[in-house]
Amino acid sequence: MKKNSRRQGKGSVKTFRFVLFTGTVVTFALILLIIILGDQQVGPVHKVIFEGAGPLQKAVAKISDSVHSVKKKYIDLLTVREEKERLWRELQECRTTAYANRGAVALNARLRKLLDFKESSNQPTITAQIIGKDPSLWFRSVIIDRGSIDGVGKGMPVVTGEGIVGQVYASSSDYSKVLLAIAPSSAIDVLLQGSRIRGILKGTGKNLYRLEYILKTAEVFAGDRVVTAGYGGMFPTGLPVGIVSKVTRNRRGMFLEIEVVPAVDFRTLENLLVIEREKKVFN
Amino acid sequence: MLTLSFIAVGLLLVVIQTTFFMPSPLWIASPDLYYILIGYLAYNFTFLRGIVVILPISMVLDVYSGTIIGMYPTICYLGYFMLKFMVDKMPVRKSLYQLPLVALSYLVVNWVLLMMLDFFQPQAIAGWEWFPILLRVFLIYFFSFPLFRFFTFLDKRLRGRISSTRFTRSLPGNQFRQDE
Repeated sequence: MKKNSRRQGKGSVKTFRFVLFTGTVVTFALILLIIILGDQQVGPVHKVIFEGAGPLQKAVAKISDSVHSVKKKYIDLLTVREEKERLWRELQECRTTAYANRGAVALNARLRKLLDFKESSNQPTITAQIIGKDPSLWFRSVIIDRGSIDGVGKGMPVVTGEGIVGQVYASSSDYSKVLLAIAPSSAIDVLLQGSRIRGILKGTGKNLYRLEYILKTAEVFAGDRVVTAGYGGMFPTGLPVGIVSKVTRNRRGMFLEIEVVPAVDFRTLENLLVIEREKKVFN
Repeated sequence: MLTLSFIAVGLLLVVIQTTFFMPSPLWIASPDLYYILIGYLAYNFTFLRGIVVILPISMVLDVYSGTIIGMYPTICYLGYFMLKFMVDKMPVRKSLYQLPLVALSYLVVNWVLLMMLDFFQPQAIAGWEWFPILLRVFLIYFFSFPLFRFFTFLDKRLRGRISSTRFTRSLPGNQFRQDE
């Protein structure tokens, strides 16, 4: 009896569950049907669902974005070495080009000065380039790539756009040696441009001249311009030589001690002009 | 062949010194590479062969530098004879002491030459200054290590004998000269 009553109880529970499940499904189906076929308005139920699902969706979206970001970074990382090498090569090329451009600009400026000098002076000139420099500590001379075939001869003055450089000391058929004006053995007849006082400009072996044989009675000041006198016929008259930088009046002696800064920067000499003149042999 | 090769090397050193090591006419830190060769010749070449090698090199130097013809042959031969004399007369022959001697002889030769020129042609040259000359002495000493190695290598290759003796290696036994 007890067994029969238990079986009947279990059967009724199953029936109840079936009815409940079916009822729920049918109810939801009806609700869905009503919603679909209804006025398509977002109701309070939808809003509740919105509010409940929103944070979840937001969190998942964030995680998804992070994953995508990491993935993108990883892929970028794989190509970054090649990119870096490419950019580095480009940078090197740009630097080389910029360096070459700067050199070209400087060369252009120097050559323009030479050209200006060549055009302004009425004398025939020969352009030359320095190919070697005197390595000794005692002398100052340079070797240029022009010789007697080009018309260069001993004693010819050598200049740049800024002023005098020196004079040709010796020449072979294709090359010449130029004794720089700053050489200790160099001596040039010069004038102070303003006062027309004459003196002898001597080299010191450094980037400086010494102006000698100017009497103490003469008025000489720092800043006075010194130009070639042209008396010996070696240099043309009026070529810039330098600017007086220091004047010393010693108690003893007849002459002033004058230092002159060269108009030409001998540290950056490259291109020169040899002025073609009749040969003047000098000692 | 050996003589001609060392003449060629000497001329190359002179050209390098007057171009690569002279960025401007006022540059003072230019090593006198030719003088290191003079030192090597004095230590390793026979008297006559050394003289033959030095002659064209010093003549080219005379053309490239200065206004006093004969100055560089004087420097080169004075240094050569001095070092040759020291090699023959000094009790120690170890190579390590030979390199400072090259630099020292350069200082002495330049000083003697400057004294002579100052007496005979005082207007022709710049005065003595310690800093540039000592810088040159240091540069000679600095460059003499690699150049001596190069000269030794070239010398051995040209003479056709390969020796395992290295230039700066300390040699076993008594390094003091034995009476011959």
